[in-house]
Amino acid sequence: MSAIPPLRALIVDDEELARHLIREYLQGHADIEIVGECENGLDAVRQIGALTPDLVFLDIQMPRLTGLEVLELTGRRAGVIFTTAYDEHAIKAFELHAVDYLLKPFSKARFDDALARARALHAPASPAPALDALIARKTAPLERILIRDREQVHVIAIDQVECIEAQGDYLAIHAGGKCHLKPQRISEIEEQLDSTRFLRVHRSFIISLAHLQAIERPGPDRHAARLRSGKRVPISRSGYEKLRTLV
Amino acid sequence: MHPILADARKLLWYVLAWLLAGIGIAALLRLTEQAEWSGALWFALPICLVWSFVALSSYYVCRSLPYSQRRWPVALGLFGGASLLSALAWLGLGEAWDSMGRLVSHDKPFVAMTSPGWVMYFAAGFVLYLLSLLAHDVLVAFESVQAAARREAESRVLARDAELQMLRTQINPHFLFNSLNSISALTGFDPAAAREMTVDLAQFFRRTLALAERERITLGEEVVLCEHFLAIEKRRFGAKLKTELRIAADATDCLLPPMTLQPLLENAIKHGIRQVDGGGTITVDALVRDGWLHIAVVNPVAADEVPASGHGVGLKNIRERLAVLYGARARIAWQRSETQFAIEINLPADKEVIE
Repeated sequence: MSAIPPLRALIVDDEELARHLIREYLQGHADIEIVGECENGLDAVRQIGALTPDLVFLDIQMPRLTGLEVLELTGRRAGVIFTTAYDEHAIKAFELHAVDYLLKPFSKARFDDALARARALHAPASPAPALDALIARKTAPLERILIRDREQVHVIAIDQVECIEAQGDYLAIHAGGKCHLKPQRISEIEEQLDSTRFLRVHRSFIISLAHLQAIERPGPDRHAARLRSGKRVPISRSGYEKLRTLV
Repeated sequence: MHPILADARKLLWYVLAWLLAGIGIAALLRLTEQAEWSGALWFALPICLVWSFVALSSYYVCRSLPYSQRRWPVALGLFGGASLLSALAWLGLGEAWDSMGRLVSHDKPFVAMTSPGWVMYFAAGFVLYLLSLLAHDVLVAFESVQAAARREAESRVLARDAELQMLRTQINPHFLFNSLNSISALTGFDPAAAREMTVDLAQFFRRTLALAERERITLGEEVVLCEHFLAIEKRRFGAKLKTELRIAADATDCLLPPMTLQPLLENAIKHGIRQVDGGGTITVDALVRDGWLHIAVVNPVAADEVPASGHGVGLKNIRERLAVLYGARARIAWQRSETQFAIEINLPADKEVIE
């Protein structure tokens, strides 16, 4: 029997004692090697990219980025064990999608149990559609948009966003005079946005109503939105109908 | 019950007003030479006294037709009809009383009114009752406005009471479970620290429960509670969390609602210290100046932080709580700069009265 290489684990939690506890619980498991520890979400995004650990212990409520946002940005799905003290929304979602999680404080037995399950799931590194669903359907309307640009992570407050444009497989997010690209479908982000603040005015455009300055009429039966930044966005006929009922 | 009958003072003034009307009627009778002064007064005053009570019935007439469901033809019919009926009764009473006069004074009525006199008297009865109706109408409208305002105020107070209760008994589960997790971690390598943390946690909750039942506590008591809270948080966040409490000696016995300072510290940690790499120091200053208690909390914040959600809800709660308890006499103001967040509360520097 050939020696199985140890599983490489990353611990993500902003509290040193919480990390310490996981380290202690892992001591009895010779087949697991701790390759790193992170104390915030941004760090976790970097380390997951750099170390590609087999297993991530991921706290949900963290500074900078939440655990779910870390997954969204890294595309990481397999080998994740969530830890949380209390997060009604997340726990409900975990239950719904049968995602394993550890509720702090947790016992050694419960921890070993989760580990055993993670080992079993790790063998075929299958992407977890459950997690996709979990990340996509966030409970509250989106408050910030996360963009990963190589090693950098941009966090854009939602009220900075002027408009979002579909460009092939990407979204061009116009905010604060800059344009960021994010791989996502426009219909997906449309669902996550607060419908009283954002409106899909065209097949490939969503505008922020707060940034809308005027509706122009460049030709008969054609409309365009002029935004505060001066940018012009085409409005489709159905988009115009929706806009008229709102404004 | 009729609001005038319910209040002896009001009733007295009301009856006096009617007697004045009686004198007016007597004067009218005298001026139109229907009667002598004594006869006119003997006639008019008792009738007005009786009628003052009869006219109170108009309150119920008005109440039977609330403003909201009133249509003018109906109201006009009702008021006119009621006035006419009462004027007829007034006439009957007048005639009956007048003939009673024969019994008291030498077989002669109090007044010897001619037909036009009786018509005038009848008209006066009509007008008086109509006036009473209109006056009562105003009274009823005024009452219903007052009642609505009172109901609204009551429901506001109830809602606030419920909210206060909620705030007081609210135990932040995130804080509780994370603290327990820290204790669980400490037991493995520092049992003494685990024990200390358990005691701090117990003290914090015990004090929270005890103080929450009181309307106001001294700043000193609140600070002790906060010290237990900070001891726990320092274990959780280690060297990231530093604090500097500068509480002036004369401020410690000032009164304030329980859990006023603690949520400020909780916010300072949650939205400030936790978000800053390397953490920082929270400073608390409390002092009394010119009869005002000033409490200021300052903490560092991450310059590039974009809040995920729910920012400012806690602060709004504190502001509303203070507004309920102090009205305009409490001030809370906050300010966020690139690197720090500062919040200041000003309250009247009330101290416990020793009896």
